[in-house]
Amino acid sequence: MTELKRILHVEDDPSIQAVAKVALEAIGGFQVLSCGSGQEALDQVQGFAPDFILLDVMMPGMDGPRTLELLRQLVDLERTPVAFMTAKVQPSEVDHYRSLGARDVIIKPFDPMQLASQVRQIWSERHG
Amino acid sequence: MDKVPHALQQHLQQLGLQFSERLRQELPQLGQQARQLLEVDESERERLLQNLRDQLHRLAGSAGTFGFAQLGQQARELEQQAERWLERLLRQQQSLNEFISALQELGEQPAIASAPQEPSDRKRKQPRNENESRHIYILEGEAAVGENMRQTLSNFGYHAEHFNSIAGLDAALQQRLPDALIIDAKLPGEASCGLEYANQLRARLEDPLPLLVLTDQQDDFATQLQAVRAGAMGLFSKPVDIPQLESRLERCFTQQSGEPYRVLIADDDQDLASRYSLVLRDAGMLVEVMHDPAQIFNHLRDFNPEVILLDVNMPDCTGPELAQIIRCNDDWLRIPIIYLSAETDFGKQMNALIKAGDDFVSKPISDNALVATVFSRAQRARLLSDALARDSLTGLLKHGDIKEQVAIELERALRSGDRASVVMLDIDHFKRVNDEHGHAAGDNVIRALANLLRQRLRRVDSLGRYGGEEFLAVLPDCTPQQAKLIVDEIRQRFAELHFIADGGEFSCTLSAGIAGTDVNSNADQLRERADKALYAAKYNGRNQVQVAASEEHRG
Repeated sequence: MTELKRILHVEDDPSIQAVAKVALEAIGGFQVLSCGSGQEALDQVQGFAPDFILLDVMMPGMDGPRTLELLRQLVDLERTPVAFMTAKVQPSEVDHYRSLGARDVIIKPFDPMQLASQVRQIWSERHG
Repeated sequence: MDKVPHALQQHLQQLGLQFSERLRQELPQLGQQARQLLEVDESERERLLQNLRDQLHRLAGSAGTFGFAQLGQQARELEQQAERWLERLLRQQQSLNEFISALQELGEQPAIASAPQEPSDRKRKQPRNENESRHIYILEGEAAVGENMRQTLSNFGYHAEHFNSIAGLDAALQQRLPDALIIDAKLPGEASCGLEYANQLRARLEDPLPLLVLTDQQDDFATQLQAVRAGAMGLFSKPVDIPQLESRLERCFTQQSGEPYRVLIADDDQDLASRYSLVLRDAGMLVEVMHDPAQIFNHLRDFNPEVILLDVNMPDCTGPELAQIIRCNDDWLRIPIIYLSAETDFGKQMNALIKAGDDFVSKPISDNALVATVFSRAQRARLLSDALARDSLTGLLKHGDIKEQVAIELERALRSGDRASVVMLDIDHFKRVNDEHGHAAGDNVIRALANLLRQRLRRVDSLGRYGGEEFLAVLPDCTPQQAKLIVDEIRQRFAELHFIADGGEFSCTLSAGIAGTDVNSNADQLRERADKALYAAKYNGRNQVQVAASEEHRG
């Protein structure tokens, strides 16, 4: 079983991006690549080889599901576990995100103190 | 998760400040954009609305993370309104006006006008900074009563402020929200009475503040009812027994400052388990899902859940069977087990409960019902296990537990080379208090000293009720000389407390003995030396603190 080390986080809101980075790095001990848009993620992810991808659903331009679709076409990322972050959590929507290939959904707003353990748990549900 | 490193906390706080700075700029812009909705043509309006919706959506997702839970909720509602407009469901001018004014009001919240010291709802979840004392605001028209209360609560280590008028309190609330409020039910000379004001305040605040109410006569049922409706957690008649009021405050804070509840879910249906987990996490709980019943004890040990949710029909091992396995082990007796099942046959449900388990929840269950069921069970379980480890009168560690703590700290001190101090403390002439004022008054004195000690000592210090009126504390990384300064301050403050009983007002003093760790003594000897120093303090005339003789020349 590989270890969870590198996380790609795609999020257009700079405040959320910053707080998630701090939470994941300082509390979780992960290495985080933060990208402000789907396009930025596609440009920068090569060479980072993330173990886990966190995607905001609603972003201007390229949204989360579309970003996931394009990320999946990259070599190495076909099977990387993904979680969406979104404020909307109707059960039907969660099912919809699952059907797109997401492992789980992290609800916004999230508690910075809990984010790392939440990510770790989603990760281990797959690998554990 | 218990200790948040200081640097991290600061970093998060910094990000929170940046966020509230952003809000101060962005929220008024939302209002401006909303106003334009009235001035532009149909197609431009559509574009503007989309833009507003996206911004509100972003706000709905982010505000709560930085502690602005209510703002996030409002943004979410407004986002949904915008969405409905875009779907051309609502187009009336009037509701558009309401939408615009709601957006303008969004920027005028008191919570955003001043940068938050700490986001209010995070305060509940995170351990407090141990050096910061709790802020208490007192609204009391009678200057002497309010001032006396402020003074006494300050002696207990609170940061108390007294206000004569609603206007004064309102101004202070703009600056900073206190940790608790004490309000007089009647406020002569004000337009509204104290309870009416408390009601308005409750509607205005994001999270209700713990509220204590002062009345002239407590047995007035109408006032009691009104107080409870205003959210009061305690009602005290004048003249107020302040130590008793303080102990109620302390209880409010203990209830409030809990860690999130830990819930373990065992269900073979992975999708359903994730769904439950999502709902409970959304309600602020920590959730772990397990699929292999054989791993149950590993999960119990590592995660230490406070509630277990068990699916009744699992293929390898049924819920009731797993519950019985858990119940065979004494260590996990205190954890409530709730079954989840599609079973609606009452007889079968009863059968499962008789074998083991505490409650039944029928699938499908609404999200709210699930949260409520788990929450109430978890709350009860935590209260109970806390009560078992702690002395019922003072909430401090019991005799055996504090003795064990002394041994642990002594060992740690020997390993690290730091000095720790052990303090034995005893209330002077306590028997007299009981004889003259009754046992209830005596209990009050013990509770007051317990609370005072809790307030004045550090979080790392351990504190227990050793015997009737005797307390034992161990202060890590603290020389006997430093400990003497701390304990002597507590002694002075304790002497200043006034107690009220049928026999009138009275006060008490205490004596204390201190001994420091050294390589030659074990925990028992250390306690004995502290006890001897206490005896010396008593012999010398009481109301004083003595350091064990062998410590004096060591410095």
